Amino acid sequence: MSTVTVRYFVTDLDVAVAFYRDLLGFEEELRPSPVFAMLYRGDLRLLLSVPGGQGGGAPMPDGELPAPGGWNRIALQVDDLPATVDELRGKGARFRNDITTGIGVRQILIQDPSGNVTELFEPLAAYHERSSNAR
Amino acid sequence: MTTDPLDALRLPVVPVDPRPEFTAALLRRIDGHGDLVDDEPITFRYFVTDLDAAVAFYRDLLGFEEELRPSPVFAMLYRGDLRLLLSVPGGHGAGDALPDGSVPTPGGWNRIALRIGDLDRTVAELRGKGVRFRTDITTGITVRQVLLHDPAGNLVELFEPGGGYHERTRGGTIG
Repeated sequence: MSTVTVRYFVTDLDVAVAFYRDLLGFEEELRPSPVFAMLYRGDLRLLLSVPGGQGGGAPMPDGELPAPGGWNRIALQVDDLPATVDELRGKGARFRNDITTGIGVRQILIQDPSGNVTELFEPLAAYHERSSNAR
Repeated sequence: MTTDPLDALRLPVVPVDPRPEFTAALLRRIDGHGDLVDDEPITFRYFVTDLDAAVAFYRDLLGFEEELRPSPVFAMLYRGDLRLLLSVPGGHGAGDALPDGSVPTPGGWNRIALRIGDLDRTVAELRGKGVRFRTDITTGITVRQVLLHDPAGNLVELFEPGGGYHERTRGGTIG
């Protein structure tokens, strides 16, 4: 497996790091400044940037600032979605919806403290993933 | 305290190479998150308005391979271990409206970041193919990077590592 990198924007870095670390199983790898942190969950590398900071959070050439939110997101596979959701609800996590049944999966959207969503999914019959020896 | 009579027969403790990466990976695995599934592709979902245009963009310009397109509102692509799901808002499944009535849309700032060997060359090549960039190449913290738009307005970050670049090293034995 090679590293896959994703960037999310967050308003409060401490709160965001705690959320991804304590609720979603990420490990804090680096926090070199008050506006940037790097976390890992397996081979997923999550970059958290505070809008307005240097680097990934810097304003665009036209002055527009990045912001948290939107709909594009990481999707994390879990073994037992209802159990995971119960556990996370017990820890105070906010969800955008209830568990829904999609195509080949059931899934739910968890919301981080900045308003970003992350999808949690559990494979069902007809779930498709490229088999590893085909990679 | 009694002495174990077998002590005399025991082999001496032999120092072994600690193999820190292996140990760290093993400890991470033992340490918890047993319910979280490892060894799976990393999945990211983008919302797009025109599925054909989006698939062509990620396939022809960014090196993804089309894996599945089971319906007009959903496609699955791969680029190495990154699995990209493209969903059309309003479609069945992930594109559905939420209970509060909000419907997913493309855009926003959260994004995948793809590592590129030669950013200047890649950007020149993509510009030549008509790709719209949101920024010029900027120098960030240990990387040079650029932001481009997909046809639906989603952002994709391309980066080239520079001095001081950090990425967790993996032993390759576990995970």
